[in-house]
Amino acid sequence: MSKDRHDHRHCLELFEKLSEYLDDELDEATRKDIEKHVKECVPCFVCLQTLKRTVDLCKQAGDRPIPEDFSRKLREVIYNLPKTPSA
Amino acid sequence: MTAPKRANHKKIKDKDFELIRAINSGQYDRFPDLVKRYEQKLYNFSLRMCRDPADAEDTVQETFLNVFKYLKDFRYEAKFKNWLYRIAASTCIKRRRKSKFAPERELSLDEFYHREESESPNQVPDWAMMPLDKLLSNELLDQINQAVFSLPEKYRLVIVLRDIEGFSTAETSQILNVSPANVKVRLHRARLFLRDKLKGYFKNE
Repeated sequence: MSKDRHDHRHCLELFEKLSEYLDDELDEATRKDIEKHVKECVPCFVCLQTLKRTVDLCKQAGDRPIPEDFSRKLREVIYNLPKTPSA
Repeated sequence: MTAPKRANHKKIKDKDFELIRAINSGQYDRFPDLVKRYEQKLYNFSLRMCRDPADAEDTVQETFLNVFKYLKDFRYEAKFKNWLYRIAASTCIKRRRKSKFAPERELSLDEFYHREESESPNQVPDWAMMPLDKLLSNELLDQINQAVFSLPEKYRLVIVLRDIEGFSTAETSQILNVSPANVKVRLHRARLFLRDKLKGYFKNE
C-alpha cells in the first residue's frame, strides 16, 4: 500500500493473507514475510492492527438470553414428541 | 499374512457422547437435557442467521426436531456440537428468504484493497490500540451485531461460526460442506467488511 517504498503487488499479495496470519494458519516463510513487511510498511501495519481488533471485537459479540416463552414452548414440543424417533 | 487395516479414526472426546448414547439406548426422556444444553447457543446462532426472532425460534425448533429424528444415525466420529450446527446451518439456508437489508452479493477483495490504498493511513487509530475492556460498550456491541446482520449470508455464516461460535477452519468447512480454502476466503472478506463498518463507526463517533 505504500507506493514509495514497496512493491505494490507485494502489499496486495500479503493483504489477502492477513486473516490467515492472525489465525496462525500460514507456513513459516509467509508468516515471516508478513512480519518483515509490516515492520516497513505503515499502511499494512495499520491494516493488520485494525483487522486484529475487528476479530477481537467480533469475539465479544455476546449472546442474548433465549426468550422464556420460547424456551417453555420448545420444552412442550419436545415433551410431546413420540416416545421413539421412528414412531 | 498381514492383518486387515483398521480405519484410523481419531478418537473424539466429547462431553455429549454419554448423554447421546443414553438417549440412543432408549432413554428418550433425557432428550430435553440435550435441548437445554444447546438451546441458548442455537437460538443466538439462528437469530444471527435469520435476523428475525420469530424465524430464529422456528429454526431452533425445526433443528431440534431433526436432531431427535436423526440422532440414532449419529456416528460419534465428530463432536455432537459440529453435527448439530450442520443441521442448524442447513435449516437456516433452507429457510432463507430474500432480504431487503442484505441481498446476496459477492464481497470483492479488490474493493477492500483499493479503499485501503486510497486512505493510506499513517497511524494506527485509537480504537485499535486502546485496551479492549476500555473500548467495549453496549453501543459498540450493538454496532458489531448490526454489522454482522448486514453481511451477505454466505459470509455471515462463516464469520459467525469462526469468530463468534469459535469453530476452527476445518470444523466450519465440515459444517458448511465447503472447502477450507473457501472458508478462509469468505472469512477474510467478512472481517474486512466488518472492519470497514467499525472504521465508519469510530470516524463518526
